[in-house]
Amino acid sequence: MTEQTRPGRSTTGYSVPVEEEAVVIIGSGAGGGTLAYELTARGIPVVVLEAGPHLTHEDYVNDEWEAFNQMAWLDPRTTSGSWRIARDFPNLPAWIVKAVGGTTTHWSGATPRFKAHEFKARATYGRIEGANLLDWPIGLEELAPYYDRAEKAMGSTHVHGRKPLPANNNYKVFAAGAERAGYRFYATGPYATNAEEYDGRPASIQDGFNFQGDKNGSKWSTLVREIPRAAATGLLDLRPESQAVQITHDAEGRADAVLYLDSEGNLHRQAAATVCLAANSVETPRLLLLSGTPSFPQGLANSSGQVGRNYMRHTTGTVWGHFEKPVRMYRGETMAGMIADESLHDPDRGFAGGYYMETISLGPAFMAAFADPGSWGPDFAALLDRYLNTAGMWVVGEDMPQETNRVSLNTTVKDENGLPVPNVHFDDHPNDVAMREHGYASGEKVFGAVGATSTHRTPPYPSTHNLGTARMSERPEDGVVDGWGRAHDVPNLFISDGSVFTTGAAANPTLTIVALAIRQAEYIADQLRSGGTRPL
Amino acid sequence: MVFPAKYPSLNAVQMTDEARETLIRVLRVAFPHTCVPDGPYERTADRILTEAEAETWFRVALSQGLLSLNQLAGGDFRALDDDAALRTLRRVGGTEFFGFVRRTAVLNLYDDAEVWEALGYEGASFDQGGYLHRGFDDLDWLPEPRIEFPPDAVLPEIAAGAAPLPPGGPTPPADSVNQPGATASDMEEVKK
Repeated sequence: MTEQTRPGRSTTGYSVPVEEEAVVIIGSGAGGGTLAYELTARGIPVVVLEAGPHLTHEDYVNDEWEAFNQMAWLDPRTTSGSWRIARDFPNLPAWIVKAVGGTTTHWSGATPRFKAHEFKARATYGRIEGANLLDWPIGLEELAPYYDRAEKAMGSTHVHGRKPLPANNNYKVFAAGAERAGYRFYATGPYATNAEEYDGRPASIQDGFNFQGDKNGSKWSTLVREIPRAAATGLLDLRPESQAVQITHDAEGRADAVLYLDSEGNLHRQAAATVCLAANSVETPRLLLLSGTPSFPQGLANSSGQVGRNYMRHTTGTVWGHFEKPVRMYRGETMAGMIADESLHDPDRGFAGGYYMETISLGPAFMAAFADPGSWGPDFAALLDRYLNTAGMWVVGEDMPQETNRVSLNTTVKDENGLPVPNVHFDDHPNDVAMREHGYASGEKVFGAVGATSTHRTPPYPSTHNLGTARMSERPEDGVVDGWGRAHDVPNLFISDGSVFTTGAAANPTLTIVALAIRQAEYIADQLRSGGTRPL
Repeated sequence: MVFPAKYPSLNAVQMTDEARETLIRVLRVAFPHTCVPDGPYERTADRILTEAEAETWFRVALSQGLLSLNQLAGGDFRALDDDAALRTLRRVGGTEFFGFVRRTAVLNLYDDAEVWEALGYEGASFDQGGYLHRGFDDLDWLPEPRIEFPPDAVLPEIAAGAAPLPPGGPTPPADSVNQPGATASDMEEVKK
């Protein structure tokens, strides 16, 4: 994969002619990377267009800002709405990766499943003012076998015989606090990071740089598993630094090609028989909106008007606890602990849905930038002075889909290619605010139970869980894709990332994205073989 | 607030050593860490001066800001004690000058190996084999916790008080468009 290749062309040694109608996958992260492997393993050649470079584990660095600059999606974006991100990080609404492997190279590794009722949020929670709730067209019973396959592929700890991760320092504080605060359902997982060698990947060496690419390759990502395995089939045409800018269609309204830019700004066209879009929940709707034509005046696959809407980011917040003795939370896996007691749906708490508490650690550089954005002075300095004795946890729970929370095109600002940048608008729903308050209080209770001398609440980071902007729906007027991720309006266009989430559930989304992609790959392969009821 | 000049030469000012010392003092007061030596503060001040070199706008804001600090201090900001210096900085906390200094300082002061050492952070670890054999679990002031979920318990998914469907039988039939039923929300008064 190191041989010299032309910009915008395959780096794997296998190449599909640009005029050949191929299965084209846009994005190589949890959705796109999984799809590429599952299809090539069934003998179906694919072209993968990845906007970012092909970084490897040798390239990654144990340094927060340097790694951020190397990996993060830094193309300009704008923000609006009442969320604090619009004030503190106005051009960084989402914290995701632009590289082969996508955000699976940055993710923490937590792999809880959705609960059965979380596919039926509208039926379970009832009508909630201002929330655009809708039940998924599929349920847990349909996804369960694919959850099994995803967990085995990713090596989730605590399930299918995988050993749990050991307790690190941060977890010792977290777990003892949970026990004393009366919580029961705490453990060091499930996390898709190896506690022992599994599937060709080594055990974790607890280096603490999980968010920075995990140089050891112990954490699952499509960079370590699906992409190389797809390449080994000889059917993967991987084109890094190839950013899709438009999906075109023929007179019948079927997708027929993808236009993309290479690293030198040259425009290419790859003919397509089927297009699978997995560019994360900001770029996916942006690409659909950029692909509008007289036949699709609101953007491709957008007859419902729901493309870009119902943007969700999970209700999150961080609680830091400060202790009299050292914690050294940065030693060991960044995230390796979970309290699940609050993940149930219990409206008696004053909000619908549930949340998890998960251990988290930041180095001083990120602590300074994110712990209390905009802050300075003695109180701020004291937060950093207590760094050695600090333990951290992240609250992550379901947020409400709202039509007005939305990714749209900002036509007053353009990127280096002259294309309108995406604007991300977000306002918290009152349910989100109530859940976050409850989560902060629970975190403080946990740390207080083991003698925290003080605690600090950190507002949400730029969003790592971006969901819902091309949602699944039973009826075409309610959403963008059907239960297979297939666009209601365009029969040979699939969405294969977290954009399809009808609602967000409390669980970290990657496992569900992978399970959906495995299921979708099976469906696409079947449709290609049989001809299907709606021809691909 | 500062304004761009009509001619660039009007903004072609250079910072003096005194300006650099004032800036270092600003950083010491705004981010007071007794455990951090002078080196990181000096490097951060130099970084701010370098960034200001690159942007006329920042340079103007910085030179005006430092000047107004001295004016507020009645002569020399460096001569103020910690408390008076902090109060003076609070008065300029909302200015563009201070925003530029604060932002640049937060991103650079704490991205410094000497500061990491002072705060008790060890930095890169992969080259040393991570912390697997170097204390990732050496916290000894709390009991060893269990690492698996309790084997004998099942996590409840829905609280007892939250029935998934309202009691009283099956879901009512969906309303049709022209015959609104019991669940319709858009019925209006019918007049003859």
